[in-house]
Amino acid sequence: MKRIAGRTLYTLLVLFLASVAVFYAIRLSGGDATAARLVASATAEDREAFRELLGLNEPIHQQYFTYMGRLLSGDLGVSLTNSSDIFKMLTFHGRNSLILGVTAFTLVFAVGIPLGILAARKRNTWVDGAVMTFSIGGMAVPNFWLALLAIWLFASVWGLLPSAGCCSPRQLIMPAFVLALEGIALTVRMTRSAMLENLESDHVRTLRAGGLSEARVVNKHVLRASFIPIISLMGLRIGQIVGYALVVETIFGWPGLGQVLVNAVLRRDYPVAQFFSLVLVAIVVAGNWAADIGYSLANPRLRKT
Amino acid sequence: MAQTVPSKIGSTQQARSPAETLLSIRNLRTAVSQGEDRFDIVRDLSLDIFPNEIVCLVGESGCGKSITALSVMRLLPTPPVRAIGGEIQFKENDLLTLSDKEMRKVRAEDIAMVFQDPLTSLDPVFSVGSVMTEVIKAHRDLDTNTARTMALEALQEVGLPDPEKRLDSYPHQMSGGMRQRVLIATALVLDPDLLIADEPTTALDVTVQAQILEMLLEEQRQRHMSILLITHDLAVVAGVADRVAVMYAGEIVEQAPVDELFEDPKHPYTQGLLHALPHISVKREKLIPIPGVVPPPQMMPPGCRFAPRCPYALSRCWQERPELEINAGRPLRCFNPQPFVA
Amino acid sequence: MRHNKLLLVGLALGVIVLIAGVLGPQFTGQDYATQNFQNVNQPPLSEGHLFGTDSLGRDLATRTFVGIRVSLIVAAGVTLMSMVAGIVIGMVAGFLGGWIDRSIRGAVDFVWGFPLILVAVLFAAGFGEGLFPVILAVGLVNTAAIARVVRGEVLALKEREFIEAAHAGGLSTFRIMWRHAFPNILGPALVLTSYYVAVAIIAESALSFIGLGAQPPLPSLGQMVADGRNFLRLNHWAATIPGLAIVMMVLSVSLIGDGLRDVFDPRLRHEAKGVDD
Repeated sequence: MKRIAGRTLYTLLVLFLASVAVFYAIRLSGGDATAARLVASATAEDREAFRELLGLNEPIHQQYFTYMGRLLSGDLGVSLTNSSDIFKMLTFHGRNSLILGVTAFTLVFAVGIPLGILAARKRNTWVDGAVMTFSIGGMAVPNFWLALLAIWLFASVWGLLPSAGCCSPRQLIMPAFVLALEGIALTVRMTRSAMLENLESDHVRTLRAGGLSEARVVNKHVLRASFIPIISLMGLRIGQIVGYALVVETIFGWPGLGQVLVNAVLRRDYPVAQFFSLVLVAIVVAGNWAADIGYSLANPRLRKT
Repeated sequence: MAQTVPSKIGSTQQARSPAETLLSIRNLRTAVSQGEDRFDIVRDLSLDIFPNEIVCLVGESGCGKSITALSVMRLLPTPPVRAIGGEIQFKENDLLTLSDKEMRKVRAEDIAMVFQDPLTSLDPVFSVGSVMTEVIKAHRDLDTNTARTMALEALQEVGLPDPEKRLDSYPHQMSGGMRQRVLIATALVLDPDLLIADEPTTALDVTVQAQILEMLLEEQRQRHMSILLITHDLAVVAGVADRVAVMYAGEIVEQAPVDELFEDPKHPYTQGLLHALPHISVKREKLIPIPGVVPPPQMMPPGCRFAPRCPYALSRCWQERPELEINAGRPLRCFNPQPFVA
Repeated sequence: MRHNKLLLVGLALGVIVLIAGVLGPQFTGQDYATQNFQNVNQPPLSEGHLFGTDSLGRDLATRTFVGIRVSLIVAAGVTLMSMVAGIVIGMVAGFLGGWIDRSIRGAVDFVWGFPLILVAVLFAAGFGEGLFPVILAVGLVNTAAIARVVRGEVLALKEREFIEAAHAGGLSTFRIMWRHAFPNILGPALVLTSYYVAVAIIAESALSFIGLGAQPPLPSLGQMVADGRNFLRLNHWAATIPGLAIVMMVLSVSLIGDGLRDVFDPRLRHEAKGVDD
């Protein structure tokens, strides 16, 4: 319990520092922000007035607290490019991202763990070889390129799936798999090596010496011990999925948080970039926190201290 | 306590003649594969264990003691290590030919094993009680409560303090000595006929070592079981063994009752081990270690495997392999035994 | 055995990629930016163009080779930086301990917890698009990752007798770090680094793909894939060839990394296990 409280406090600190860092980073580009809304012919006075309007002339720490205050009161203004309400954008795009992210996350572990177990149990056979080849390949193929290949084959050549768009199940298939692939490949490797390590460990030998069946040893004890490192992997994977979503959502035209952020950065729509950076950073930090807590709960060594 | 279990009554109460062997290893050969090559780790090993006795298997580390034990339990890391020849007769079965399922029945029920490192030999993610009940229920058709009671009794018997609380403890909450007691309790809970203890005290503090050995001896007397104790520590051997088998480089080189062996060791290797022991060589100025190390299985000398380190080696010893033959009433593998000078 | 073969495959791929990146542009003898609207979207092996041309009629082979060169330069620069910085930071933290260690570890964990692409996008938001924020982001995250592992290795090493002996012998901490600890850390650090070379190549190409990395007319493989995607039906080669080049580069370093790990970490060789008594 103490550990969990400690990690939670640490997480809150990280969240605060990260929000400050993100805030400052994006403010660095504040000078450019005016470019998004103003035509080239705008005078220096116009720009100055606009900066004043956005509050960019206050001292920067004051800007931070003003901003956080407005964030908490739910008033973040509108996008500079299309004037949509930023909070409404969050609900719409957040929902889409949630669908894609949760599907990909589930795929990573629902596919990766069984494949890793299979490879470990069939060690040094062709099954193991095939799974590991897939795994090495999966980590070497950049997901944006895989996305294009998938679009080209499944949409253009064979016409099996829609090439882009949101949010029917058929439209979900390609982005979810592409987003999940690297995670699947990594999970396979981790699961396999954790299983192998435990299969040959002293404590498993003790269980075998106790006359437990191999199936029971593997399915209960080896799996459980192997699961602990995989839980850490899950937390990191939330972060990685957020990162890759920036790319994958952009390719598949999936209107999620990642696509919004990338477009905002490219168009220098800085209130949107500001807010969605914070949202994604918060998701990553929360993911790391969840992994930490899960790890503590699964590991008796940490649970009772 | 566990002697109340019906299947055991016949075997433990019946008086046995010493001639009736419990475990009989005949010409065991265990090898490791490396790519296309195969090297013997244990060669031509024969050893009998009778009911109700303590046999010590002694030798330096790397000489194949643990591999012998794991061969009996059929717990070798296969591949690459595999028992490829010989027989291991236990009661009426050859353990090497049993099916996996039959072998599982033998483990813990008939032959149990305790390992060297109590720190790594307990499952870190399950409580002591849950693993013990799982082992019990793998062999007996009992409900969880009864199995738990059995586990509790076993923990009490091995002298674990506060056993009721310990049932729900995890390994990391206990000291090395406590963990070894838990491992021994797990091994004894089904009242096996033979306990194989592989260096059970090596990883423990000296004071704890003595307690654990004492407890093992007590258990052996009460249960009338046999123990195959594997150790490199001759002081331990002197204290507990009935008979001793000395192992070198995968082979047994000498075998004798404990008093005879300490009084009159015949094999130069046994003599060397005794010379390196403080209270035997008390008359000497200093201890004499055996020069050199056990050769790895890939680099075994062609003749006597001890020849490179032997002070009495003849040219014959380098060329020919000595057999284990009865010499002065005991099995000995040596062409040129010399009298022992303490 | 198997790993040695994979290592060889990795090395062979690496040599091919290096030759393509270093000598390729000379070999084609064309300019990567010259457009020719009379000759767009040509398939590979068309006249004068080994890989064909892209949608602006530029020679795809030259662009791919220059793209490989850009990737290699970015990956090498980033990796060199993060390896040096990571090793130094990790060793300092591990050796000095105390509050220095705690604050370095805090900072490193902080950075390491964030996905690379997100960090790079944030940097691009701060500094504007281009290779600079990409290099900075990849360098920062990889430095943190390497420092983490190096610190762990140092802590393990500190317990080893020979380091204790060096301390007892009165050697200065700096001397112990440099002469005794560094050679032992280099192996694991190299293995790890090969993995992060792959990460750097993928990250650079992904960011260039979404338009935040290398800016035209400088070709980057990721950006070429992005350009090619609008013409998949006409000429998919403009997207598939640069993609394949990325795969080859990443595969090469991954295989080399796996091979190196076998060399440096014999614990992972299962063949030798179980022989000891």
